[in-house]
Amino acid sequence: MSIELWASILAGAIVLATPLVIAGLGEGFVERAGRLNLGIEGMMILGAFVAVFVASFAGLVAGLAAAMLTGLALAALMNLVVYRLGANEIVVGLAITMLGLGLSTYLYQLWIPAGQTNVSVPTAPKLGLGILTDIPLIGPALFGQSPLVYGALVLAIAAWAIFRFTRFGLQVRAVGADPTSAALRGVRPRQIGAQTLLIGGALAGLAGSVITLGSIGAFSPDITAGRGYIVLAIVIMGRMTPVGIAIGALLFGFLQSFSLLAQSTAIQLPSELYQTFPYAITLIVLVLTSRAALRRHLGRHLRRDPGRASGRTLPA
Amino acid sequence: MIGRLRGWMLAGAVVVAVLVVATVLILIAGADPLTGLQGLIAGVSSSPYRVGELLVGAVPIAIVALTLIPALRAGVFSVGAEGQVIFGAIFATAATLGTAGLFGEGVPAPVYWVIGMVSGALGGAAFALLPAWLAERWHVNIILSTLLLNYIAAGFLGWTLRTWLASGENTATPQSQQLPEASALPDLIPGTRAHIGVLLIIVVAVLFEWWRRTSQATRIGVFAERPRLALRLGTTRARTLYGTMLVSGAGAGVVGWLQVAGVNERLFNSVSGGVGFSGLAVALLGALLPGGILLAALFFSALTAGALGIQSATGTVPSSIADVIKGVLLLGVAAVAGVTARSGAARPAAAPPLTDVAAVTPDGEPTPTPATESAGTEERS
Repeated sequence: MSIELWASILAGAIVLATPLVIAGLGEGFVERAGRLNLGIEGMMILGAFVAVFVASFAGLVAGLAAAMLTGLALAALMNLVVYRLGANEIVVGLAITMLGLGLSTYLYQLWIPAGQTNVSVPTAPKLGLGILTDIPLIGPALFGQSPLVYGALVLAIAAWAIFRFTRFGLQVRAVGADPTSAALRGVRPRQIGAQTLLIGGALAGLAGSVITLGSIGAFSPDITAGRGYIVLAIVIMGRMTPVGIAIGALLFGFLQSFSLLAQSTAIQLPSELYQTFPYAITLIVLVLTSRAALRRHLGRHLRRDPGRASGRTLPA
Repeated sequence: MIGRLRGWMLAGAVVVAVLVVATVLILIAGADPLTGLQGLIAGVSSSPYRVGELLVGAVPIAIVALTLIPALRAGVFSVGAEGQVIFGAIFATAATLGTAGLFGEGVPAPVYWVIGMVSGALGGAAFALLPAWLAERWHVNIILSTLLLNYIAAGFLGWTLRTWLASGENTATPQSQQLPEASALPDLIPGTRAHIGVLLIIVVAVLFEWWRRTSQATRIGVFAERPRLALRLGTTRARTLYGTMLVSGAGAGVVGWLQVAGVNERLFNSVSGGVGFSGLAVALLGALLPGGILLAALFFSALTAGALGIQSATGTVPSSIADVIKGVLLLGVAAVAGVTARSGAARPAAAPPLTDVAAVTPDGEPTPTPATESAGTEERS
């Protein structure tokens, strides 16, 4: 495989990783606060549709903003049903995903009835950072991307700083670690939880819009293809830290980019193998992460109290 | 009494919410809601064929849902039915075609059915074994592992239909060879697609009613809330995980066989067609009880069939309106289950928490236990 091909694989990896980074950072907040948003897929795909629809008459920035609002609205709905009315978080997450998938398909089919050509909108322009783009191999990947990619980088740094330096970050961690003691110290778990869920929803919507407005420029039903679930796996792999999430997203983006581009090369393998490759590797990494987490956990408990380790239950 | 009245009012609120959403969706499409309603009714009941479609759609969903109940009651949240249906279908197709190849024309139909059903169940169960093992051994989150495995199953099916099970004819859509005539399930209602396989739902329902009364069912319920107590009652985490996952996998696998032998008589890429996800939604909608599940499965199937009726009656409303309504319905029912569980009017219908952390509700209150549940009724209502 030539160096040009590797350069485009790397550039594609960054593009594909961007929505995962954005949604993953949001879910990192949610899970740090002890919640779980299983509706990411639905929020992403509805955001992806709304972004194209709004951008088609109001421009790129309006499209991105509308997608964020869409994710925010779905997250607010989830917050209401789960944390005010007491519904099960997993069931509601799946329902939100069904709703997002159904609604995006329905509205898309209304907008563009079967047989009509799909509407395309201009994607975010790629920045050319002058001579740096000409660096072989990594030039296009690092310096020739759209502003959305660099936006995701800024977001990752911001999330890291929030957890590291701010009161809000500390509160989120406290609520996730032990809501009862956090409440005793004057933190309001329900409020913090709601805020993280809204952040997660807005970022999931934005991530969806990055898929459509960042690289494709058009919507089609099921365009997210399970990437919302991949985000959940990435957050577990990244141990809920912004840096870990970003690394996990880059890994998945690289695998997917490799799968897409390596098909065209001399390596003759079944195309289905390439398609399932990213999911399979994600599963393997998930297994390795879970294994490591279990060992750490058992190690800690074995040292402290040998009797307790075996009876304790972890997430099923 | 008041609790029951409240329950009915909440259920009524969900129905109203669904109707409002449906009306709004039809109005957005620029159509008349009443025309839509007529189309919905026509789509479900205008001919015996439609009634047959209703059954063909509802039974696979109901079987997946019923066999998922043990897992969901144990708090094992498997989302893998899609992939298990696919593996059941692949195994059943391969076994049926293999039998035909080995023994030629003379194999009697019931032999084919037993072979198809058993190998379908084995295929589904085998594919459920992997996430169960990963969860048991290394605590890999079952929701995520089963979701990821669905994509892997779909890829494997695509490869299968291009290679070792390909029909050999030159067709536009990848497919397997046609199954031998004797292996196809005969029609239950002539002139429809309803085949005698739909009667299998009776078998599954009876089996479920028997299981529900065994001590194993009780232990699984206990496991979900108090794993250590369940251990003393004689069920381990491993046994619960493997047992419930194998049952749900086998059920989904049988559905895979039903779809191949009953409906298409060939294996296609679309064999699962969302049956797995619908089955999960229906299990939750039916509050993990058989009566509710049968009703919810019929309703889901009616929605799918009726939405096609709406589409043809109005001309502008896409049939995907059914998917939106299903999502709203699940959301509404989850909310009602939450409210009633909190106010003590009923036991929580949905699955228990996923993690240790979730054993404490986000407000910092401990999860209501059966003993304290009735306490909050008055102040909330």
